[in-house]
Amino acid sequence: MTEIWVKNACVIDPIRGINGEIMDITIRDGRIVESVSDRADVIDAQRCLTLPGGIDSHTHVSGTKVNFGRYMSPEDMRAGRTKRKGKMHVTSGYYVPTTFGNSYRYSAMGYTTLLEGAMAPLEARHTHEEFTATPHQDMLANTLFDGNWAVMDAVREKDIRKTAAVVAWTLKAARGYGIKLTNPGGTEAWGFGEDLTGIHEMVPHFAVTPAEIITTMIRANELLKLPHSVHLHCNNLGKPGNYQTTLETFDIVPDLNPDRQTLYATHVQFHAYGGGTWKNISSKAEEITRSVNSKPQIVMDMGQIMFGRTMTMTADGPMEFNLHCLHHNKWSNHDVELETGSGIIPVTYSKKSAVNCIMWAIGLELALLTKNPYQCLLETDNPNGAPFVKYPEIIGLLMSKRYRDEECATLATGVEQRTSLCALERELDWHDIAVMTRAGQAKALGIINQGKGHLGIGAEADIAIYPIRTDSVDPAREYRKVVEGFQKTRYTIKRGRVVSRDGDIIVDGANATFWVDAKVPEDLRMENDPEFIKRFEQFYTVRMSNYPVQDVYLPRGRRIETEVFT
Amino acid sequence: MIEHDVVCPFCGCLCDDLELVCEGGKIVKVQNGCALAESTFMNDVRLPSPIRRTESGWEDISYTEAIKETAEILQGADRPLLYGWSSTHGEAQSIGVHIAELIGAVIDNTSTVCHGPSILAIQEVGHPGCTLGQVKNRADVIIYWGCNPIEAHPRHMSRYTTYATGFFVPDAQRERTVIVVDTRRTDTAGIADEFVQIEHSGDYAVLSALRAIVRGKASVIPAKVAGVSKEQLIRIAEICKTAKFGAIFFGLGLTMSRGKYKNIRNAIELTDELNRHTKFVISPLRGHGNVYGSNEVFTWMTGYPFAVDFARGIAFYNPGETTAVDILRRGECDAALIVASDPGANFPRAAAAHLAKIPTVVIDPHVNATTALSRIHIPCTAAGIDAAGTAYRMDGVPIRLKKVIDRGYPDDAEILKKIYDRLNGGKEL
Amino acid sequence: MKCILNTGRTVPQGTSVEHKGSDNYRSVTSAGFLNPVDMMMLGIEDGDRVRLTTPAGYIVLTARPAEGVARAEIFVAIGPYANHIISSETHGTGMPDFKSQSVEIEPTEEPVKSVGELMEAIGGLRYDRT
Repeated sequence: MTEIWVKNACVIDPIRGINGEIMDITIRDGRIVESVSDRADVIDAQRCLTLPGGIDSHTHVSGTKVNFGRYMSPEDMRAGRTKRKGKMHVTSGYYVPTTFGNSYRYSAMGYTTLLEGAMAPLEARHTHEEFTATPHQDMLANTLFDGNWAVMDAVREKDIRKTAAVVAWTLKAARGYGIKLTNPGGTEAWGFGEDLTGIHEMVPHFAVTPAEIITTMIRANELLKLPHSVHLHCNNLGKPGNYQTTLETFDIVPDLNPDRQTLYATHVQFHAYGGGTWKNISSKAEEITRSVNSKPQIVMDMGQIMFGRTMTMTADGPMEFNLHCLHHNKWSNHDVELETGSGIIPVTYSKKSAVNCIMWAIGLELALLTKNPYQCLLETDNPNGAPFVKYPEIIGLLMSKRYRDEECATLATGVEQRTSLCALERELDWHDIAVMTRAGQAKALGIINQGKGHLGIGAEADIAIYPIRTDSVDPAREYRKVVEGFQKTRYTIKRGRVVSRDGDIIVDGANATFWVDAKVPEDLRMENDPEFIKRFEQFYTVRMSNYPVQDVYLPRGRRIETEVFT
Repeated sequence: MIEHDVVCPFCGCLCDDLELVCEGGKIVKVQNGCALAESTFMNDVRLPSPIRRTESGWEDISYTEAIKETAEILQGADRPLLYGWSSTHGEAQSIGVHIAELIGAVIDNTSTVCHGPSILAIQEVGHPGCTLGQVKNRADVIIYWGCNPIEAHPRHMSRYTTYATGFFVPDAQRERTVIVVDTRRTDTAGIADEFVQIEHSGDYAVLSALRAIVRGKASVIPAKVAGVSKEQLIRIAEICKTAKFGAIFFGLGLTMSRGKYKNIRNAIELTDELNRHTKFVISPLRGHGNVYGSNEVFTWMTGYPFAVDFARGIAFYNPGETTAVDILRRGECDAALIVASDPGANFPRAAAAHLAKIPTVVIDPHVNATTALSRIHIPCTAAGIDAAGTAYRMDGVPIRLKKVIDRGYPDDAEILKKIYDRLNGGKEL
Repeated sequence: MKCILNTGRTVPQGTSVEHKGSDNYRSVTSAGFLNPVDMMMLGIEDGDRVRLTTPAGYIVLTARPAEGVARAEIFVAIGPYANHIISSETHGTGMPDFKSQSVEIEPTEEPVKSVGELMEAIGGLRYDRT
């Protein structure tokens, strides 16, 4: 039995309605309990800001394309390297760190749960291998369905139950958590070098539209009672004028679930562009947030970019090729048979580029213009917009108008007219930040019941204690203290163990992987469907029996079983 | 007993549709496999127990003794080299990296003498590729450049390319155009619709010529480029540009000949150029069954696919300096651990010779040329035969190798783990 | 005769690769494939032996004719025979010139060595108890 008694914590726990209360937290065997014995280890939080462990609901840290980002970038590996130290392994890399690098740096920032944003089912085993080597965070994997042939066939037949059955089989085979659609239909078109330009355009050879894929998958997702909603990377990412596609997409989303959103729209900054060319691109954050503010069924995340060099990596293969044609740097592409695509290129976001400055402003505008912080979560689509180590700076910018003004003064000319950022007075408070970095994620991902994102009795004891005294720091003026404070926790506690102190990992990790075993009626089990089996054996290059991820790849797997639908 | 859907661990194709007939703990029949698969499973003669070289010959020793002495050799070394890894599973590779980190060793895998130059090129310009099923289902143009799949990857053409029935290519033999580029007229060249025979070391020039033609600059091309006629080059460029989906597979004919990684860079840039006209992908034909897995494991653990030097505490990578052949050639390492590979046979003599001058330990199921150069050889399971584990196919698809029979050998991961624990003062990994 | 030594994988090499001490492995990796015209120029027949010399040393192989091999080239399956004479220089890439080593070829009466002998020539000791 291990016990910890955290005393004098200044707790913000939005899910339980606690906002800055000085209190004790008691932990036994990994969970939060009513009380502990006198033998408990005592941590004096000294009235420092204490939050549930951070949750990233959209990051790229593990799997085929992340590793390829490392593989092709020795220049980045050199850019961030640390020696073996105590329990810490060697790390390499700055914007695409090695698995241990990701894990240690996230832990130092108080993050204890991560959702990998894109896993191709065929390559799921790889993602899970890297999860095991990312030991200090619990992991979940968004599973890609955007170009899934069996899904598109079922969508064409307007068969929601069949769509759900394919999703259930695939999620279980891949040990995945939820449905991810990346440029739905577009990744299949990219198989022959094409892309789609709108949600009502037909996917070549499959006679379905992105809109049909999205709406059918939403219905299937709710039919299966999956904990998370459909998680969507909209069509037309990164193209001037794409905000209309984004708005059209939001407009077709029904409100189907009282407990959470019906659609999670990711990295919306990349989808909120006005204009028609790179010359006249402008911010449409106001239009986007107006839509989101009136639609409780939608949650988005920022997709904030930060200036500097990073790596873009996404399942959106055609988008990456377009970007490559602009940047003329190295380009990797990796299409996955019957399922999806992917692309990788390095980029540098520069303050000298008006386009980059507008992108930077849009992300912040989205957060500041969204009324309910549960509807706009903080992330960078790591590493696409910026490596996650920049999160503290983003927090600083959101909490301080002065910081934003100072930054705005250094931007390329002409940016002010094309965004409204400089006019926004709003400064987010500690509670907003707590929502946007953990509570909102827990709710959106549907893991509150798994004991995530809050500090209630019975919750997983994932806790971050930051060296910040909210009663004595004025974030509007002292934003540097805010940024520094969020960079390194005093303590990161993961499942009841102190894993990180003042930025250093002090124990070996023992994370868990959450996956969803969605139940379907007997007659809808794809493993018994002769047509599905036949097509699988004909067109995949692995045998169906070798496709599912074996349990050995999830040494601490946590299966979430859903109720069978009728 | 028949085992279905068995994965052959021999080459980077990792065909997973084999049927093995097992009787009394032995594999008696292999179905669906090629000649290489059949010999891998059927003709699997092992070293019976650990051996140590003495003044007078070889003596059998126990596993405990062999492991203890290996740990002592590594512990006592100033600059140990850990090499090989490509014929075992990721679980063993991963422990190998941990050992290297712990003792400040150089760790390198067999891609160093295989597709190492391809990796260098990819690090310069990236890699437009795909999984093999994309090629099978879509490609109407296939190019084999500097490779000979009939000999090295015998089922590549029937499973993934030339003869494979694909969704958009239902009549593969008629609908696919196959181009073979080589200095030799190989058996693979014999089945090509177009065979391009180039002069020795002419690849770079021919690739440049094709790039120029694809860019609309045919006028600058002379009548012959490295032995290839301008007419043929123009014809090839046209076939590529009008393809619906083209796939280039290349082999050691590009990585090992003059120009090395610059040849690959040029081929990738040709692929990039062709993507402005149609869809084109390029992929190396990886040799050893899990050589790509060694690149993957090394990369997520250290940041680099091969040639990683931990001597300075951090992971350091500089091919040409931290690559196995160079370290041996310079006589730099003072101990070596060779796992699942045979540098004795596959390295130039001067490099191999250094292995005999230093204490070298081999962990491998089979007696090989390196055995003769070693001080200790510890036999172990063979991944995919009597050990399960992860392997990565040449296109990055991870596949679980199966344990088909039990022959009573310890898994190499288990042996390595014991070595690690000893090196770590008895503490568990 | 000056030639380029080209090496590569073959099926017979692959099927015997885990039997390095076998006669089969020895015969498939010690065969040098030459264009028949070059064999005529050298005055040798199928099965005669040739001596290949480079700055790194020399090796004796059995000559075999192959129409597909270009003039002034000799193809040898990858293995210890070819490697016996390939330079260990990698030009800063880690990769030796496995496919572009210049060699001098001449007929010889010397015998083809065994893999064990090659390893013993560099300080090894063959193990032949399996």
